[in-house]
Amino acid sequence: MAKARALDRRRKSVKNIRKITRTMELIATARFKKAMDRSVASRDYTLRLAKILANIAAATAGGAGTGSTLGFSHPLLEVRPTKRTAVLILTGNRGLCGGYNSNVVRQAQAILGQWRSEKVELHTAVSGKRGISALKFRGVEIDERYLQFEDKPEFDQVAPIGRAYLEEYSAGRIDRLDVVYTRFDSIARQATVTEMLLPLKAPEAPSGSARATAAKAAAGGLASDDYDFYPSAQSILEELLPASFMARLFKCFLDSAVSEQVARMVAMKAASENAGGLIKDLSRRYNRARQSQITGEIMEILGGVEALKK
Amino acid sequence: MAESKRGGETGVRCVITTPEATVLDTRAEFISVPLFDGQRGIGRGHAPFVGRLGVGEVRITGERGGAAGALRRTFIDGGFVEVGHDEVTIITQRSIPAEKLDAAAARTDLERLKSAPSHGDEAITARMRSEEAARALLRAAERKG
Repeated sequence: MAKARALDRRRKSVKNIRKITRTMELIATARFKKAMDRSVASRDYTLRLAKILANIAAATAGGAGTGSTLGFSHPLLEVRPTKRTAVLILTGNRGLCGGYNSNVVRQAQAILGQWRSEKVELHTAVSGKRGISALKFRGVEIDERYLQFEDKPEFDQVAPIGRAYLEEYSAGRIDRLDVVYTRFDSIARQATVTEMLLPLKAPEAPSGSARATAAKAAAGGLASDDYDFYPSAQSILEELLPASFMARLFKCFLDSAVSEQVARMVAMKAASENAGGLIKDLSRRYNRARQSQITGEIMEILGGVEALKK
Repeated sequence: MAESKRGGETGVRCVITTPEATVLDTRAEFISVPLFDGQRGIGRGHAPFVGRLGVGEVRITGERGGAAGALRRTFIDGGFVEVGHDEVTIITQRSIPAEKLDAAAARTDLERLKSAPSHGDEAITARMRSEEAARALLRAAERKG
């Protein structure tokens, strides 16, 4: 009976584990939906900012006659030789989400190693318990740690971090900011990427064809050139560029949160399925063991009966 | 104003959007926004412009579906306004409906800012700015009562 009982015990424990993973899958699904809604809701802001930026680019490029670049410069747009760089790494606070954290850590290590080999001074900031412990274990010096970001990063939480980076950048204490995070492309595709957020990429002035459509719109009374700027395009740009940086940084946090939930969902689904397979296998072995035990007992009884008959 | 009626719609569409969500999307008769140098009213057929916003209140009157003469007030903290063709888009980092403003909290915030020391030109400018914002918040909060 010993073997059958052991098998039964194992089957029970696997069943319990499956219950847990199944619940985690459901929780991750619910959280994913919420995170996804937030991410979609925030898209509007970025789109509208981009629209104003394009309007300014169109207005000023037309005036300056340069065509492809803006008619003026801004400290956040200027590219300096990289002497001191900041890297922000976004991971999760929790595990059990497949390769989500380890992919980010691996990518982060690659970029940190690259900067170190170029003898660039580093300022490293890591969000998420998992990333912090994994990088600490690998001997990476972490200057800043954030633990407050869960599945619902709020703009008010992200803003101080963004403002600090902007200040550092304007003061010339950092020359570049890279963010390592998991970009959310679709529910079936998330990619670990390193994105440069500072210096900002200059907004593109409309190219030839776009300008033609703008001119066409002008005929219909909807020209982007029609816009007046209060107080001036330059002054609006001065406010707009930090705002668009903030929006991009916030999007990185949102994407990370959504990706984490997707990763957990997928990992837990796979775990539940594996547990199901294991249970099936264990059940079969248990039944077989039990059957052979019964057969053995019958044989014993029969043997006893035969012996008594004689 | 027959020519300003396009597609049977009346009034101006007003959208307030923050990094987290679009908090308001409505049609109204008249909208007053706090530009960097003072309130500015926008009605139907306003010329398109893009403006920098200060800290203050957005006032929306004659909202469709609302009671006649009803006024909706929303506090905003900087950002931009884009006035297109009968569409007003307010892009701000923070927006709080007037009902949710807390005068007491705003006052303690202002007191805290006042008492904090600041050194250097930059710090003083930053402080004056945040004090200005705190005052505007307090003004808006007190108005509701």
